[in-house]
Amino acid sequence: MGMRVLFARSKLLVIGLAILLFLVLVALFQPLINKLLIGDIDPITMGSFDSYLDPSPQHWLGTDRWGRDWMAQLVLGLRYSLVIGALAGSVATLIGVIFGFIAGYKGGMVDSTLRTFTDMILVIPSWPILVTLAAYIRGLSIPTMALLLALFSWPWGMRAIRSQVLSLRSQPYVDLAKVSNLRDLEIIFTELVPNLLPYLGVSLASATVGAILAETGLELIGLGPGGDIITLGLMINFSLGWGALALGKVELVFPPVLCLILIFVSLNMINMGLEEAFNPRLKRVTGG
Amino acid sequence: MDQTLLEIRDMRIYYATTLGNYKVVDGVSFNVNVDEVLGIAGESGCGKSTLVEGLLRLIVPPGHIETGEVAAPLITDDETTNCDLLSLTEEEFRRVRWKEISYIPQGSMNSLNPVAKIEDQIVDTILAHSSFTRQQAKKHVSELLEVVGLSPEIARLYPHELSGGMKQRVIIAAAIALKPKLVIADEPTTALDVTIQKMVLQTLVRIKKQLNCTIIVVSHDMPVHAQISDRLVIMYAGKVMEIGPVNDIFGNPLHPYTQGLIATIPSITRERKRLRGIPGTSPSPSEWPSGCRFHPRCERVMEVCQQEEPKLREVSPGRFVACHLYL
Amino acid sequence: MPPLLEIKNLTKVFSTTRGIFGQGEIRAVDHVSFSLPGDRPVLLTMVGESGSGKTTITRILLGLSSPTSGEIFYKGKNILKMTVREWEEYRKQVQVVFQDPYGTYNPFYKIDRVLQLPIRKFKLASSDNKAQDLIVDALKAVELRPKDVLGRYPHQLSGGERQRVMLARLYLLRPQLIIADEPVSMIDVSLRAAFLNILLNFKDEYGMSCIFITHDLAVGYYLGGQIIILCQGRVVEMGNLDFIVHEPKHPYSQVLISSVPPPDPKDRWTEEADFKYSELRRSPDLLVGCIYRDRCPFAMPRCSEAPPPMIQVGEDHQAACYLYQ
Repeated sequence: MGMRVLFARSKLLVIGLAILLFLVLVALFQPLINKLLIGDIDPITMGSFDSYLDPSPQHWLGTDRWGRDWMAQLVLGLRYSLVIGALAGSVATLIGVIFGFIAGYKGGMVDSTLRTFTDMILVIPSWPILVTLAAYIRGLSIPTMALLLALFSWPWGMRAIRSQVLSLRSQPYVDLAKVSNLRDLEIIFTELVPNLLPYLGVSLASATVGAILAETGLELIGLGPGGDIITLGLMINFSLGWGALALGKVELVFPPVLCLILIFVSLNMINMGLEEAFNPRLKRVTGG
Repeated sequence: MDQTLLEIRDMRIYYATTLGNYKVVDGVSFNVNVDEVLGIAGESGCGKSTLVEGLLRLIVPPGHIETGEVAAPLITDDETTNCDLLSLTEEEFRRVRWKEISYIPQGSMNSLNPVAKIEDQIVDTILAHSSFTRQQAKKHVSELLEVVGLSPEIARLYPHELSGGMKQRVIIAAAIALKPKLVIADEPTTALDVTIQKMVLQTLVRIKKQLNCTIIVVSHDMPVHAQISDRLVIMYAGKVMEIGPVNDIFGNPLHPYTQGLIATIPSITRERKRLRGIPGTSPSPSEWPSGCRFHPRCERVMEVCQQEEPKLREVSPGRFVACHLYL
Repeated sequence: MPPLLEIKNLTKVFSTTRGIFGQGEIRAVDHVSFSLPGDRPVLLTMVGESGSGKTTITRILLGLSSPTSGEIFYKGKNILKMTVREWEEYRKQVQVVFQDPYGTYNPFYKIDRVLQLPIRKFKLASSDNKAQDLIVDALKAVELRPKDVLGRYPHQLSGGERQRVMLARLYLLRPQLIIADEPVSMIDVSLRAAFLNILLNFKDEYGMSCIFITHDLAVGYYLGGQIIILCQGRVVEMGNLDFIVHEPKHPYSQVLISSVPPPDPKDRWTEEADFKYSELRRSPDLLVGCIYRDRCPFAMPRCSEAPPPMIQVGEDHQAACYLYQ
């Protein structure tokens, strides 16, 4: 669909996508931006600069307790946060979609079993388990962390996809496809999936938000990826831990927070925008 | 001499959209006489359902009544000073609604509360619109059910225990609970089995006889009008094309659209002959044709039809047509 | 020559759970038997009210549902025992027009797809160009202008146009048997004649037989041919449509036909419908005898013992009623 058409359908969607795109570009070009900011220095190396420098043209957000350029870290943190969120969101959506689809399309016993299983996961208090696991596995790597987060956020996507598949499955055009000799798999991919795309998008956006929230939460209590990885959540953790607010160094606390808010806002705008963009079209068709 | 119950003048109901106004009902005027069954006929998109929603002030944004007057002195008499239904205050109209004018919307048999007994639902309706006590209302329910041909025993049942036809008759019973002067039924037989349709139509005729009320029946189904309507208003693309007694409309339709409609009805009683439909399709409010709205599909179209909209004219007493062939 | 279609004792039972105390069952189709001749195209109108089983029968014929028992023979071959290959061939020869002109189109795709898919799936053209020719031909055959239809999305066409595109689809496929499930009930009255005339044309010019399901007897009458009347899953009367509509023998048929509103204000109903007896009740004990005995003014003790057999009451006219035994 052309951009103009999308924009007409939902301004929210386009603005959300624009913001997200901007953030993603910043994250992609992180090495280049880093070079522009501080040259060839690794942003997380301690002692590169003097500690607690005030914001200046050389250090847009000043430096932190260990003499690291905060702006450079922000860009790096943004990159890692997005990667973890995207990875976790994608895996969660993938699991949710597969289960949701099978449950909705097959129905019967398969559906009941999958639904019960999903409900069980939903009921499990994910937070304490996440914390425990994270505490045990010191120094999580990114993939592990993403997987962990994904394991607890897929049920929501599953339910949304399942109910959509259920309603789509009984549409007359599916019957027509069967009568036209299309096989089950063909029907799934050519008839049902295209109408599911907006819901997939919504699932993905929601799962990503959930993952980043959980990740931030973990980091705020000191758990999370170890080693050289810096994320927005960790930055907030550190700066609060240093008492930056008390020191009057608000530029250490608010930028990562704002960044996170930007991510959430853009994802939610995409979420709502997708519904706006695709629902009127569906409504127009079915309303006659 | 027929007394007038409603005088509808220049009713316009527009829907505001980003692309401009959708003129769904665009200048409709006609009278409703006391004690008649007035049929409003037309196909999808002609605006007939929106028209009656407008009469009952049920239009919600983005729809609004652009202009229009519904003079109803016999209805507003005892209640208010103003006789235009559309300019009454909310409070004044509320007093009119159900007591004087009741409404059976499309698909209303599915709007019965599934967790309440029939009796209670009718009683609640009565209580909401009158000052009866619960006792009085309950007694009334049996009488009402009898009028619509239902056994009083069903008052104790729940909606899911009734068939479609029974539910529709319960709705009719509730609609006549306060002996209104006017009952408006919107597509009362759509989606019903044909044996039930007959029953519902005969129920409407029955209540008219017993209550001496006026009925407006909105239906796209011409045979329905043939059976119960006294006069017909034919609508197309938001306008009135023809008005007349039902015998005249069926026997001698004047407007080419009406002629096309009548000629296309299949019948099991007449000799089988090849039917012809009307070519083209109904226009939508987003692009009403210029001049006469029917001209793109009209077989007898003339040049003036594309440029000038024909006004509704009385060509003989009680017979109105909006067509350049008769101007 | 084997009959085009032969249905023997087709039965479909749906089980429902009634509370926690056990299973109920609904006999949507109950020992239905009829056939279509193989030597000439025939239009069979299948009439019934809601719950008559007509939709279930069409779904079974189209392979969208499987029967509980009974046999269906298409050109002598048992369709319930066909291989995948044979099903593909069957599907080419037995096609459908559905009732809903909105739901039969996937809103994601353009209208063209509904015509391109059968060409591809049934290998009707050897190249894209030939396929396009076929499509243009088919649209013209149903009096649609290709440029008004191709490249558009479903919501840009009216209901009547969409149903005609479905007819164009049939024109492409040239099936031997068309199953038309209430194809005109959801389109405007002024557009119905065009659709029905094309269907009649398909029979006369291309020899396509049709089972036309409808609740509107007047439409069925217009098509002419044969008729079969169903009531709660059972065949009640069948045979020549003109005979039956003018002289229905089964009490249910009589009520049905007298309930059709004549489109003539000079021909109004005079008697009041029987208010108390007009509701059909679905109940297990009714299954034992005649399905209609609850409401039948002529019910005899015999009617409660066993379902009446189909009895010949005239040339090409059968009714399932003990009155004629």
